[in-house]
Amino acid sequence: MISKVLIANRGEIAVRIIRACREMGIRTVAVCSEADRDALHSQLADECICIGAAPAKESYLKMERILSAAIASGADAIHPGFGFLSENARFADLCTRCGLIFIGPSGEVIERLGNKAAARTCMVEAGVPVVPGSDGPVASVEEAVSLADEFGYPVIIKASAGGGGRGMRVVRRHEDFEESFLTAQAEAKSAFGDGTMYLEKYVEHARHIEFQILGDLEGNVIHLGERDCSVQRRHQKLIEESPAPGVSKQLRTRMGADAVKAAKAAGYTGAGTVEFLLDSDQRYYFIEMNTRIQVEHGVTELVTGIDLVKEQIRIASGQTLGIRQEDVRVTGCAMECRINAEDPARDFVPCPGTVEELHIPGGNGIRVDTALYQGYRIPPYYDSLLAKVMAVSSNREETIQKLRCALGELVIEGVTTNLDFQYQLLGDERFFAGGVDTGFVESVMEESKADPDLNASDQ
Amino acid sequence: MRKDLFKKTPEVKARQSEYRRLAKEEARLRDIRAQVPDGLFRKCEACGEISDTEDIISGYHICPACGHYFRIPPHVRLSMILDRDSFTEWDTGLAQSDPLRFPGYPAKVAARRAATGLDEAVITGCGTIQDERTAVGVMASEFLMGSMGEIVGEKITRMVERATKERLPVILFCCSGGARMQEGMISLMQMAKTAQAIKRHSEAGLLYVSVLTDPTTGGVTASFAMLGDVILAESGALIGFAGPRVIEQTIGQKLPEGFQSAEFLEEHGFVDRIVKRSRLRQTLLFLLKSAKSGQDPDWAALDAELVRPIRADEAVPEITEERNANEPNGKIPASESGMELTRESGSNPPDSAAPASGIDSSAGTCAEDGTVSDNGKQDAPEAGQEEPAAWERVQIARSLDRPTSLHYIRSLFDRFLELHGDRAYADDGAIVGGIAELSGRYVTVIAQQKGRGIKENKKRNYGMPKPEGYRKALRLMKQADKFGRPVICFVDTPGAYCGIDAEERGQGEAIASCLYEMSGLRVPVLTVVIGEGGSGGALAMAVSNEVYLLENATYSILSPEGFASILWKDKKKAREAAGLMKITAKELLELGIIDGIIPESGEDSEGAGENVLRGVTTDTMEGTAMRIKERMLSFLARYGAMDGDTICELRYERFRKY
Repeated sequence: MISKVLIANRGEIAVRIIRACREMGIRTVAVCSEADRDALHSQLADECICIGAAPAKESYLKMERILSAAIASGADAIHPGFGFLSENARFADLCTRCGLIFIGPSGEVIERLGNKAAARTCMVEAGVPVVPGSDGPVASVEEAVSLADEFGYPVIIKASAGGGGRGMRVVRRHEDFEESFLTAQAEAKSAFGDGTMYLEKYVEHARHIEFQILGDLEGNVIHLGERDCSVQRRHQKLIEESPAPGVSKQLRTRMGADAVKAAKAAGYTGAGTVEFLLDSDQRYYFIEMNTRIQVEHGVTELVTGIDLVKEQIRIASGQTLGIRQEDVRVTGCAMECRINAEDPARDFVPCPGTVEELHIPGGNGIRVDTALYQGYRIPPYYDSLLAKVMAVSSNREETIQKLRCALGELVIEGVTTNLDFQYQLLGDERFFAGGVDTGFVESVMEESKADPDLNASDQ
Repeated sequence: MRKDLFKKTPEVKARQSEYRRLAKEEARLRDIRAQVPDGLFRKCEACGEISDTEDIISGYHICPACGHYFRIPPHVRLSMILDRDSFTEWDTGLAQSDPLRFPGYPAKVAARRAATGLDEAVITGCGTIQDERTAVGVMASEFLMGSMGEIVGEKITRMVERATKERLPVILFCCSGGARMQEGMISLMQMAKTAQAIKRHSEAGLLYVSVLTDPTTGGVTASFAMLGDVILAESGALIGFAGPRVIEQTIGQKLPEGFQSAEFLEEHGFVDRIVKRSRLRQTLLFLLKSAKSGQDPDWAALDAELVRPIRADEAVPEITEERNANEPNGKIPASESGMELTRESGSNPPDSAAPASGIDSSAGTCAEDGTVSDNGKQDAPEAGQEEPAAWERVQIARSLDRPTSLHYIRSLFDRFLELHGDRAYADDGAIVGGIAELSGRYVTVIAQQKGRGIKENKKRNYGMPKPEGYRKALRLMKQADKFGRPVICFVDTPGAYCGIDAEERGQGEAIASCLYEMSGLRVPVLTVVIGEGGSGGALAMAVSNEVYLLENATYSILSPEGFASILWKDKKKAREAAGLMKITAKELLELGIIDGIIPESGEDSEGAGENVLRGVTTDTMEGTAMRIKERMLSFLARYGAMDGDTICELRYERFRKY
């Protein structure tokens, strides 16, 4: 049984985990950098240990210091949250070797799923549909060109070690292929030190649909329905909702079954997410599996009533899943908006500052996960996520209204945020109609650039 | 702070008594709970930072935080250096000696054997580095601090003897606290025993590289560690004869930071090079290849391959003809441009104006503007002539845009491994020396190096070598001689450094020794004067088989300023002096001092002619470097086939005639 957890993270997710632990009677140890001594997670936890200087690589990424802190404070488990060390296979292994429970899958599973080419091979073997692609790294430009010709254009070139859009290129014509391939490879080499590339068909007008998975140590795996995360800007999600609009019950059942199959094939334990692309013809393809709690886990919690962080802890402490697949009920519709400290007018540059005035909305069906408080000084070193505003109700229209009203009530003074931009997105008719693809945000931005009045009149 | 306002877990969840019970239980459990297993992390003894052992191992056993080099056991060292599975160990299982019947000594040795799995403080054997076979020894600090007793001395001696017999190079990683006290005088004798074996190995023309690792002290430093043909060291290693604590106690002074570090020794001339662990294997491979005795570099083939096809359309005159061509003097009409004059388009370097009239008379040089000076007091010619006058050439040769030796070294050779130090006092920045590779063939390069800007010139001493510079040059020439590598010298100096410290350490003796020893070198020696060739300081690197000057270089008995002040007691008459001294390439060729002129302006700048007025610059050096390379390869092709006696004799005759 876990009685004390060290939270190797910061910000709202650290706060979220501390709260879950507290409700379970588990004592908490926060770690913080020198810049985070006054952060909410540092103050909220039962104990707090400062583990280094402000830059993440001097503190939140220092494995040996986090392990020392865990051992010194007598914690018996480490929750990595998301980001930082959450998907670091070596850290998971080190925890185990030090006799600490890593709240998440084993290092071996993280390793397998973190390497995109290896993950893909695993899924092909399990019979989970994947985007037509190179089945592993491509050896040469020549091989890549002939594969691209075979799949038909457009195709997308990706770095095996990549992420965040780097080392990635969409190629629409045979003639452009070689140059794009070489530049993407060079980019990957400089960004990740690994020029291994792979190639797949580019699914156009795709929607990003992901399934929440829970698996216990005994091999039971269930899914908790899907989330639609198609509202993204450069692969950064902005709005997530569950269930995905326009996905039939039948399709959900099939995709859910495949998501479970994927997780089982990987030997997955704990909470994870299987990501699919869904095209306009309702065909879906596995893209990757995230081996951590997701930022947007809250929307699933709101429609299923299952506390994912608590489930993670229960699974990690060896308990069998208490829920069977047929017990999972998705009721109503939940939606989340990410509020970031960034300026949409200046290409979304991060904008640190001090929170001078703060009003957090509430009321029926509203949930706000945040680490902000009045007077909090947002340090410039970390992620710009400030708050996740969520709404839940019996149907999608009402949820959008609730969420938009909540955003209208949210006041964060002293910091530039994307609040107004999100307010505008929520009011868009196409979004209201449901089923937008991943190109939606870009097109909204294009339009408001073309017609500034549209933007202004919307306020 | 909100911290004190929040209700914490125990208050929310449990009654105080229950919390106390939990706390007690936890304290009991903590002992058997989470802990870091041994060896998972390692703390750096230098910076205190804790790092993952895996990171340390994959990073050559270097602290990822501060770059400190951890000591490594012999088998790790061998795996870093040698080809996989290539090592064969020699002389294992020698009976342990205890000559003094020292109390407790055998037990101590036995304990170290059990703990380390080593039979003594050194492992010897042979292996390959990229298929180059070599004898190799590695000392172990974990075995009684790598101290040298009879067995250590014996294993090293046997290895060196066997290497001599099998004609193998020797690489020895030194790491030792010194002689082993428990074996008394027998230990001391190991110093002599190993040194004499190395002497015989060296006399057989074989390479010995010692690599000094942390720590190398005492009797090991005072014997085989310091006897390498090349001495490499690891960064930060403690290297010295007397240990720092002993010195402090003896002289009663605190030693300065960095005293006796590898860097300190390099600065003081005792270490050829500090090599990064990650580069060590490649560096050793380079050294092994550069010292392969009995190989035929076949320079003629390289000359044909690299030069002829490129320049097929242009007749490259035979250098030996050039000097002969001088003898039937003059007769050539003044050419249209200065560039034409120096291009050696004909076999005869033409004289622009008056025929060179012997050695005296100011007429020859001042005649460039058509006037004949009567007594040398007339002003030198105006600038802007078609061909620069002597003084202009002096200015060009001193120009700061002019490529330095290192510029040429970089552009002429595929790779260059600089070796430092005179093994006596210091490493002189004014002379750069080392081994250079050209398509798998090796030469020794020794060059006078000027700096660019104040900071670099402080290091380079404005290209004025001190005695330690000449002693380094000499050391490298002898090394080249031993391994049959041709020597290429680049001269670019205002003169040997004139200062108190230079005199104290025997500037005259250092230069004299160079002249003396160079005459006996059995390998071809080529000198190219690329800028200033100032006096004896230049000659010390120019007792060569052939000497070339770049078109705008000068080579003189003294600087024109010095000349003027000695002869006329007026430094301001330098310009006049330059006109009279016969220091330009053309004049020196006429005098038979040099063997050829290398043009600085090529066909590419024809029309523009910028190199004519400014001389070669770092931006326009490509053509000039190419021409130097052609000359060098042609030289090597001609001399490469000769035996040592002939090479020596030709050099003797070359200087005998003056």
